[in-house]
Amino acid sequence: MTVGMCASGLGAGYGGFQVIADLELAVDPGSITAIIGANGAGKTTLLNGLAGLLPRTGTVSIGERMLKPSDALAAVRAGLALVPEGRRLFPKMTVIENLELGGWLLPRHERARRVDWVLEMFPRLSERRDQLAGTMSGGEQQMLAIGRALAGRPRVLMLDEPSLGLAPRMVDELLSLVARIRDEGITILLVEQNVAKALAIADHAYVIERGRMVAAGPAATVLTSDLVQAAYLGVA
Amino acid sequence: MMRAYAPVAVAGVAAALLPGLGSPYVLSLTLTCLMYVALATSWSMFSGATGYISFGTAAFFGLGAYVCAWTLDWLPWPVVILGGAALAAAFAAGTGGMILHLRGTYFAVLTFGLAELVRHAMTYGEKQYAGTVGRMLTEVPSDLVVYYTVLALAVAAVAIAVAVRRSRFGLALAGIGADEQRAETLGVPTRRIKIAGFTLAAAVAGGIGAAMAVRWTYIEPLAVFNPFIGLQTVLIAMIGGAGSIAGPVVAAILFSLIAEYLRLQFPYAYMIALGLLLILSMLYLPNGLAGLWRRAGRVNR
Repeated sequence: MTVGMCASGLGAGYGGFQVIADLELAVDPGSITAIIGANGAGKTTLLNGLAGLLPRTGTVSIGERMLKPSDALAAVRAGLALVPEGRRLFPKMTVIENLELGGWLLPRHERARRVDWVLEMFPRLSERRDQLAGTMSGGEQQMLAIGRALAGRPRVLMLDEPSLGLAPRMVDELLSLVARIRDEGITILLVEQNVAKALAIADHAYVIERGRMVAAGPAATVLTSDLVQAAYLGVA
Repeated sequence: MMRAYAPVAVAGVAAALLPGLGSPYVLSLTLTCLMYVALATSWSMFSGATGYISFGTAAFFGLGAYVCAWTLDWLPWPVVILGGAALAAAFAAGTGGMILHLRGTYFAVLTFGLAELVRHAMTYGEKQYAGTVGRMLTEVPSDLVVYYTVLALAVAAVAIAVAVRRSRFGLALAGIGADEQRAETLGVPTRRIKIAGFTLAAAVAGGIGAAMAVRWTYIEPLAVFNPFIGLQTVLIAMIGGAGSIAGPVVAAILFSLIAEYLRLQFPYAYMIALGLLLILSMLYLPNGLAGLWRRAGRVNR
């Protein structure tokens, strides 16, 4: 079942230092919602707060289900998966082992089916199933990080800077994959520095500056807004 | 894959045939080897995989030994061994719940303190309730029974380590070692997995403690909670390569033999030589003997 995610009055930070405050966020079921903003705007803090990796205030829900703050295990059980910045794979495990751990919460027979599904979705991973994750190229590692999150059959997938450090062609391939994942009925929250490319595949977008939302709307509208044109695309 | 376990299997068969061939001295030396095979292998199964370095083996070993001292007169031998394993496991499960959220040096130091704490608690408890600190073991099983018990425990420890490594549980332990937070955000119940691994390793140490207790005939806290047992277990696993299965087995055998040789040849410089050996292996064998073996394999190809 396709579900969305809602956050209200969201605040989060590190050790008493508030990075984001009072954010309102609505991610429609089966859509790609992009979060854009400069370095240090609080995008990663937002994702980590939602994922239960940081203490937060406010309410967060996945479909009908409310999430407890600071409980990463409860968040993943509710169907919220995070592909963190820098991928954070298990480098000394094989592709298959990474995927197996990704599918931890599924019953055995379902896990095997789901891993097969991921390998079908990412043929490059299928070719390298017994290779150690740490020895793959950056693009393949990013695919594995996304595949590992998908192996747990999430309902909402959060991606933190998936294109970081990848060659332009790889970025295009990766973002088209993100669009395909949405078409499978998985709701996506995408944090991306590559504003033009992110907005090209997104349905909705939020602009965040110094921890606060400054603009929101359909991706096409946000893309053509003066704010984004001037601040992120360098169009005067 | 199977080739990697072949030397371990050969060592096991040799150990099983030994009592018919070797002298009592050889048998006693092999017993020490087997004890450290079991301790280092089970230690590596948890600490090697997760990076939670435990110096607490002496606590579990000592608890097992005391179960033996308390129950040997009135319980059958296999039950004594299982009882030692069970008490150590129960203790590990209880304390693991309290200390396994600490990482790195904090965890290591705490486990070291744990072994000392148990030793002093045992001394106090025995004085208070039994009016004595040490206990005499009078009717002990034959050397052969003890030998085969410890051999069985060593084989069981290796079999557990192999089974764990191939299981989902082993994958989760390795995931915790690589990136614990990431494992948790994939849904791995890291706390429960850590407690289970810590408990399993402790059960083996407790069983070994119960079996080896009868070798002393006089059990007292200083002997069975000797921190050197925990330290030596960690050293052997590190020298062998805590990430492998064959590494700690080979290292346990080599280390016990070298330690015995040094003790006989250089009774005064023996500890110094062992210390140097440790420093050298840490400096030049970061992945232990197993790493050296793998490197040699690559060069040959």
